[in-house]
This record gives sequence, structure tokens and C-alpha cells, in this order.
Amino acid sequence: MPSPGNNRRFPFFNRLVLPLIVPALILLVWQVLSDRGFLRPSILPSPLAVTRTFQGMAASGDLFSQLKVSLIRVFEGFGIGAALGTLLGLAMGLSPRLDRALTLMTGLLRPIPTIAWIPVLILWMGIDEGSKVTVIAVGAFWPVLLSALQGVRGTDPKYLEVARILEKGRWEALIRVVLPSALPSLFTGLRVGLGIAWASVVGAELIAASSGIGYMIMYAREVSQPDVMLVGIVSIGLTGLLMDFLVVQLERRLLKWNQAGKESQA
Amino acid sequence: MKASRGSLKVKGVAKSFALPQGDLRVLERIDLEVGPGEFVALVGKSGCGKSTLLRLIGGLEAATEGEILLREKRITGPGLERGMVFQEPRLFPWMTTRENIAFGLRDSTEKREAGETVEKYLALVGLAGFGDAYPHQLSGGMQQRAALARALVSRPEVLLLDEPFGALDALTRIQMQLEIQRIWRESRGTVLLVTHDIDEAVFLGDRVAVMSEGPGTLRKIIPVPLSRPRDRSSASFVKIRKKIYNEFFNSSRKIKGV
Repeated sequence: MPSPGNNRRFPFFNRLVLPLIVPALILLVWQVLSDRGFLRPSILPSPLAVTRTFQGMAASGDLFSQLKVSLIRVFEGFGIGAALGTLLGLAMGLSPRLDRALTLMTGLLRPIPTIAWIPVLILWMGIDEGSKVTVIAVGAFWPVLLSALQGVRGTDPKYLEVARILEKGRWEALIRVVLPSALPSLFTGLRVGLGIAWASVVGAELIAASSGIGYMIMYAREVSQPDVMLVGIVSIGLTGLLMDFLVVQLERRLLKWNQAGKESQA
Repeated sequence: MKASRGSLKVKGVAKSFALPQGDLRVLERIDLEVGPGEFVALVGKSGCGKSTLLRLIGGLEAATEGEILLREKRITGPGLERGMVFQEPRLFPWMTTRENIAFGLRDSTEKREAGETVEKYLALVGLAGFGDAYPHQLSGGMQQRAALARALVSRPEVLLLDEPFGALDALTRIQMQLEIQRIWRESRGTVLLVTHDIDEAVFLGDRVAVMSEGPGTLRKIIPVPLSRPRDRSSASFVKIRKKIYNEFFNSSRKIKGV
């Protein structure tokens, strides 16, 4: 039962054990069904079989070399998309005229799913790295743009009034008041953007690639290795989880001042 | 005549706000002179325009009619010679207390001097040792002290206080009233305090300006010729307080025709 006291009384249980119960139950049922012969190994291999394949692929370095290819693509694409999204979002937040000039354009482009761009980008850029990095950049761009815009717009006018009274110029007010106050919102966008970037790379690799974790899954299907496919799927989940964890840690460090609000929300 | 530091003149000021249904007059024919080093309290009901008057003096709004002079010079916008504290502390949550106070310094201030000044003002408002704390780690009263230090750190001629203790609990409020009195006596600047607390106005002000609403006008200016520190329960204190109280409640009874 959710009560505020619970978290304090059993911190270890709540933070580390509780989240593991559901996955553990699923694995247990899955393993038992496999052992009893209800699940065909050629369709759904048992968790133990998948774990053995995982260990083998991790030991040989196969898995990590594929993951590395995908991660490099994500970092390139996310870097470009997030940088452009931040700059344009801040600019639109600061200039209502620019915002108005672009609002129809962004409203039109934003609802297009990232994967819809893949065939078009392959036509324009070929199946090289360029098209994949661009897909990721597009995926990361939108949430970052919107959160940067929202962050700037959400600056409390009372803070800006203080800057005026204290004779601060436009530039100083921007750097010391508007940007810090936009940062929590921007971070939310970066976090969402990174998640979308990771999902986009896998999508792009499933469609056209000769390396990467998405390619690994596609190839395993062609050669009928369901255990390898599942290793790929699980690795995508784990990598995504790890990336999100790192972003949250970074946010905690950079936005120490914002933690009071975060804790009371949680 | 020599224009002295901290002398403030409000001359024939009126203020209207443009609303869709027409202009709303919030202040009418305000004349007020505040001498250097004087403490004037403005009391009135909410909506009587007292905060608007303070914002006009602060330069955050422009008067529709009339003019406001500081040291015989017309006010056209905000400036560091007029420090301002609001009901809410308005500290930047991403800055420590020390950084927040330093934000109130003139940009040209030399670094070493800036550091010393900030420490001095931290101590003045009783926050020595809390310089590295973030606003959310401070109590409401402490946050308001930090806001006060930020307004004072550039040594303004006039301190404008817009119900600065309104959001504090009663005991902290009394504590803060004593503090502001001590700081005012040390710095000898001019103070204009907006409040709806008659007791506070009489306790702190050299004069109490009573405002009435719709549109806001200065109804009466009542001097408080009591030596400090003042005793809130003394007969003379109570008498002045009652006089101001009657300004608000006797006149309304007359209107009702009792």
C-alpha cells in the first residue's frame, strides 16, 4: 500500500527488491513453461538458454562490438539533434516572432513518426551512416526543441523583474536567469530525446544496415537463432535503462538546487 | 536647495491600467514627500493601489500622470539606488544565498570588494554561515532576510518594501520588524513600507500614510511622534493605532448611515 512512511521504513526493500519481483516472476513462469515443453525452443527459447547465449556472445565480444556500432550512431545523431533542438528551442522561446514564423512548420513536421523518415532518408542519403544518424537526429530533435521552448517560456516574470530592478542587461538576464530556470525542463527533453534516439537507431538498423544491434536481430531471424534475437532485445532494453540512469545521475549533479521539488513530487 | 540623498517626491501621480472594457484608474492625485532617512509606512486595504504606488517609485511601471523625483531627478525606470523587497522572497533557486546576494551588486564591482561586501551583508541580516545554502534549504524568514540583503547590498538610497513580512508567521514577523528597524537605523536610508498591518505601520513608521481605494488616494498622513524602541502596549502607541483604525472603519460605518 502506498504510504509515505513505507519508503523510510524499508528503504532497501523498496528501492532494490520491489522492482525485481515482477521480472523475476515472469522469468520463473517462462522457465517452468519451457521446461514442461509448453514453449517450443525454436520460437521462444528458455531464459536459461538465452542467458547461456548472452554469456557466450559477451565473452566473444560479438555483442559489444554490435552495441558499440549502434551507440556511436546514437551519440552522433543525438548530439546533432539535441544541439539543434536546444538552440532553436531557446531562440523560439526568446523571440515570439521567430516562434510565430515557425509554428506552422513545426506543427506539421512534429507528428511525423521518426521511422516514416527512414525510407525517404535512404532515398536521399543512401544506406550509409548518414541516413541512420539523420533519423536519430530527427527523433531526438523534437522533444528537446519543445522542452527548451517550454523552459524559456516558463521563466517566472517575477524573476525577470528582479533582474530589471538590479539593472541587469538583457544578456546577463538571459544567462543567469532565463537559462538556469529553463534547465530542468530542458533536461526532461534530453532524457526523452535520448530514449527516442536509441529506439530510432534500432529501427533504422532493422530496415537497412550491415552492423549494429538491430541488424544483429534481423540477421538472427534469417538464420533462425531465436536465442540471439532475444539477447539482442534484452540488450537494447538494458542499454536504454543504463543510458536513462546516467542522464538522471547527471541531472542530479547539475541541478542540485532543483532536488527539493523532485523529492516532494516523487 | 541641495538635493539630498534619499529624498523622494511624488507629485500629482495618477495611474490607469488599460483593460478591454476601458481604462481602470487605480491611483489618483498622489502627493507625497519623504525626507532623507525617513521611514514611511503606507497602509490600506488590498486593492487600494499601495503596491502600484511602490512599483511606480521602483520604476517597474510608468505613471499615467504626474512625476516621481528622487534627489530632484525624475524616475524613468528601475535602478539600483532603489532597492526593492516583495512579499515573496524571489530568490533564484539555482543560486546559493551568497550568489543571490551578490546578484544585487553593481556589475562593475571589483571581485574582492564584492566578496567582502556580500559577507558583510550576510552578517547584517543574520545569515552568516548560510552563504552556501540554497534557498530551498532556508526557512521563509531566512529567505526574506536574504532577499533584504540582496536589495541592500548595492547601498540604495531608498528601500521599497512591498508587504515583505505578509507571508511570515506572526512571531517571525515581529522578529523581522525588529531586524528591519535595526538595519534601517544602521544604514540611515529612506524606507517606504507597504503593509496592511496597522500595528506594523505604527511600530515602524515615522509617519503612516493611510490610503483609500477606488481609485487609490492618500487619505491622511499621520505622524508617529514616539521614540524608539516602541512599546506596542503603551497608551500613546495604542492611541495612534486606534486613530488609524478609525480611518478605515468609522468612515465606512458613516457611509452605511448608522
